[in-house]
Amino acid sequence: MSPKLKIWLMLMPALTVITLLFLGGLLLGLARSFNYMPVIGLTDPNVDAYIKVFTNPEFYQALGLSLYIAVTATALATILAVASALLLRETFPGKRIITFLFQLNLTIPHIVGAVAMLFLLTQSGFLARIVHFFGFIERPAGFPILIYDDFSLGIIIQYVWKEAPFMGLITLAILQSMGDDYEAVAQSLGANRWQRLFHVIIPLITPGVMRAYVVAFAFTFGAFEVPYLIGKTYPTVLPVLIYYRYTDVDLAMRPEAMAMALVLAVISTILIFTYMAISRRFTRVD
Amino acid sequence: MTHVLLDNLTITFQGMSHPAVDAIDLEMEEGKLTALLGPSGCGKTTTMKLIAGLLKPSQGDILFDGKSILSVPAEKRNTAMVFQKHLLFPYMSIGENIAFGLRMRREKKAFREQRIKEMLDFVHLPDMARRRPAQLSGGQQQRVALARALVVEPDVLLLDEPLSALDAHLRDEMGELIRSIQTKLGITTLLVTHDQEEAVVLADKIAVMFKGRICQYDKPPVFYQRPASVDVAEFFGARNMIKATMQGKSAETVVGTLEVEPGELTTGKAVLTIRPEEITLGENGVNSLEAKVISKVYMGTHVRVRFLIKGIEIEGLFTKETMSEFQEGRILTLSFPPKSIWAIPD
Amino acid sequence: MAKDTMTMTSQAEKSIVIRRKKHVRRWIAISFLMTFLILPLIPLFIWSFGFNWFFPNVLPTRWGIRAWAYVFDPTAQILPALWDSLVIAIGTVLISLVIGIPAGRALGLNVFRGKRLVEFLVLAPTIVPPLAVVLGIHVVFLKLGLADTLIGVILVHLIPVLPYVTLVLTGVFANYDPEFEDQARSLGAGTITIIWRIMIPSIFPGIIVAALFSFIISWAQYVTTLLIGGGRVQTLPLLLYAFARSGDYAVTGAISVIFITPGILMLLFTSRYLTGKNQALGGIGR
Repeated sequence: MSPKLKIWLMLMPALTVITLLFLGGLLLGLARSFNYMPVIGLTDPNVDAYIKVFTNPEFYQALGLSLYIAVTATALATILAVASALLLRETFPGKRIITFLFQLNLTIPHIVGAVAMLFLLTQSGFLARIVHFFGFIERPAGFPILIYDDFSLGIIIQYVWKEAPFMGLITLAILQSMGDDYEAVAQSLGANRWQRLFHVIIPLITPGVMRAYVVAFAFTFGAFEVPYLIGKTYPTVLPVLIYYRYTDVDLAMRPEAMAMALVLAVISTILIFTYMAISRRFTRVD
Repeated sequence: MTHVLLDNLTITFQGMSHPAVDAIDLEMEEGKLTALLGPSGCGKTTTMKLIAGLLKPSQGDILFDGKSILSVPAEKRNTAMVFQKHLLFPYMSIGENIAFGLRMRREKKAFREQRIKEMLDFVHLPDMARRRPAQLSGGQQQRVALARALVVEPDVLLLDEPLSALDAHLRDEMGELIRSIQTKLGITTLLVTHDQEEAVVLADKIAVMFKGRICQYDKPPVFYQRPASVDVAEFFGARNMIKATMQGKSAETVVGTLEVEPGELTTGKAVLTIRPEEITLGENGVNSLEAKVISKVYMGTHVRVRFLIKGIEIEGLFTKETMSEFQEGRILTLSFPPKSIWAIPD
Repeated sequence: MAKDTMTMTSQAEKSIVIRRKKHVRRWIAISFLMTFLILPLIPLFIWSFGFNWFFPNVLPTRWGIRAWAYVFDPTAQILPALWDSLVIAIGTVLISLVIGIPAGRALGLNVFRGKRLVEFLVLAPTIVPPLAVVLGIHVVFLKLGLADTLIGVILVHLIPVLPYVTLVLTGVFANYDPEFEDQARSLGAGTITIIWRIMIPSIFPGIIVAALFSFIISWAQYVTTLLIGGGRVQTLPLLLYAFARSGDYAVTGAISVIFITPGILMLLFTSRYLTGKNQALGGIGR
């Protein structure tokens, strides 16, 4: 058997699954969004669904909210991740505990994180009670609204809580493989701590951190579970809006849901590619 | 031109039972290149890092021009290091790399540009400012690293095995460049290396380090003629070590009684050493010994011959013209000129 | 001379003060980090043992094991859901490994025309929100009778799982030396022997990491199970949310604790493999 044939044979199962389920799903969704599904008797394609989507202010609201949450949460998570990684680089008593906590966090799914934030951050939640215990507030109403709120703060906090350890461990791995030689050079040439951070460490870790950022951003942008539980019902993020449309009693909503889903997929892909292009130009490493 | 003094300098790392650098005293003359020479793990790079301020000593002091600099942080010490790996910042251009130190001092752009051009000319790499490190060859990268260190006009230049990553022919070129720059600028320089040839070629004085201690600090030729210990002698390629008991001008050894030149060592146990190239063929005055040829190796310009004298292996180095004399198994007479024999205290 | 010594002492004192400040700063950072990581998890545990727990009490006024009794009640929904979650997750792990190992081998050991496209396809599900894909498949699954079935859910879980499994295994195979196999073959070993006795043991740590990823991703799936399972397939995540929304926080807490237990166990059990995980993580997106 020719080696080339062997390669494609080994790839066959994976490619089949991806083509049938993933690409197939996208294509079917695309067809359905054009109201074209011979399988259930729809043979008249039209763009009605798309027109409805693009003229619907609700869609843009949802899109904007998804973007806002993804950008804010991932940015905050990145800052926290880099700071943690710099801290974890050094040796200190308790380092193993913190490293373990980071890894532990990775095993906790977002849905549990959402529930945890629900218990923690409501106005009568655990954090509010602790704050009350120390005398900072009198009643639940004194605690800021973080769940089902207008700024999606609880959602953002959850994503930061989950993404920061993930990105932190990746950053730590990058720092460790980088070694501290470059910093030694910079220091011997007169760079103080902050200068070393901005001129040496950050440029060197940016390529790797950007990749992690992109993964985290993509996930947060298309995420359903967390806003579904602790987000406002209206306005909500795009994936949840799509779900509501799809499961609406009125079946005519379905093509609209599909259209929105496909637009979501396209926007997500464009955003990712844009990020990657920007990061490549920004880092200018060979 | 800064005078550097290491005073009882010691550092013990956490968890280690013995110091990595053990109470060393060293005086680096201003404007000269001092080599710190020793095998891997002897503490030479650690010493350099102490001088640079990247490590803090457990004991002792480091003085620049008579003033202690221990409390001065590394970034303010005005020392500059060149590493074995060039460690040029891959995301900066050559010019930006060179001007890095100036930029950290917030020097103006025009000044930086001018200095970049000057340094590039100085290391024979004109017009390379816009290129990226990855586009340069290994030798060129190392020269840029040197320029980057020199541009900040350091008081002390620290070179950590700068030649060991380079190919043989580049090593000579780079070595010459370092030597000429160092003499021209008159910067007090410390060169750390494990290669004694490198030290001998580049240094004004060499400090040999073993296990955290300095064993001998002298000008290069001394190490060949008068090594202070067996370790130092072997490190510099001394081959023939003969145990002896000193009695004034004579030394009692297994191979016989040898006449030596009167030196500091007149009694007690010693190790005699004579360099292979100093051994002469035939009877030439005193110290003639009978030797059996064991093997010979032709080395291009010379021939290296191994002998057996009363059970001791002796190595000699002779010109290629005499090659035919050394047939295996043949018994010859060798002479050990007294002035070439050096007695090391045991 | 005296002035010099005085300056030296005050300078030495100053450096001690600076060092102490640095340590204090570090301890503040560590405490904040630890609190941030652990705090959200605490109410989960407390709730599961709480009988009466209202604002402003930081701890329950009455403790009880009602929630736990309910969870382990064989007539309640929890245990069957736990079982289904396990079956689905393990099924996903097995199938994804069978697909992912040959794919990882093909990608890790070879360079071939079209490799970039294949890599892109394999990683695409991480960029595209799963919602878009699943909605499209839903109709077809309905027609094929795969909706509302365990196997249907397993299939759809493969979509988010395969990229990670393939990624990890590709990384493992990139460091794998096939010469061992050639040697074995020259000694007369057959293909199956080679696979079983040489390849699998060599890449075993990678298999463990890939299986871990696969399990955790499938274990935590919500919207995919929600849509394809159609209410018939009840997994633990679905139950978790149902109880959270219904307000029965005690049972929600108990389910959460059960839900995160396998992940924690795996972390403890495989922590030695996970130190190599850093390399795998560092390879994400390469």
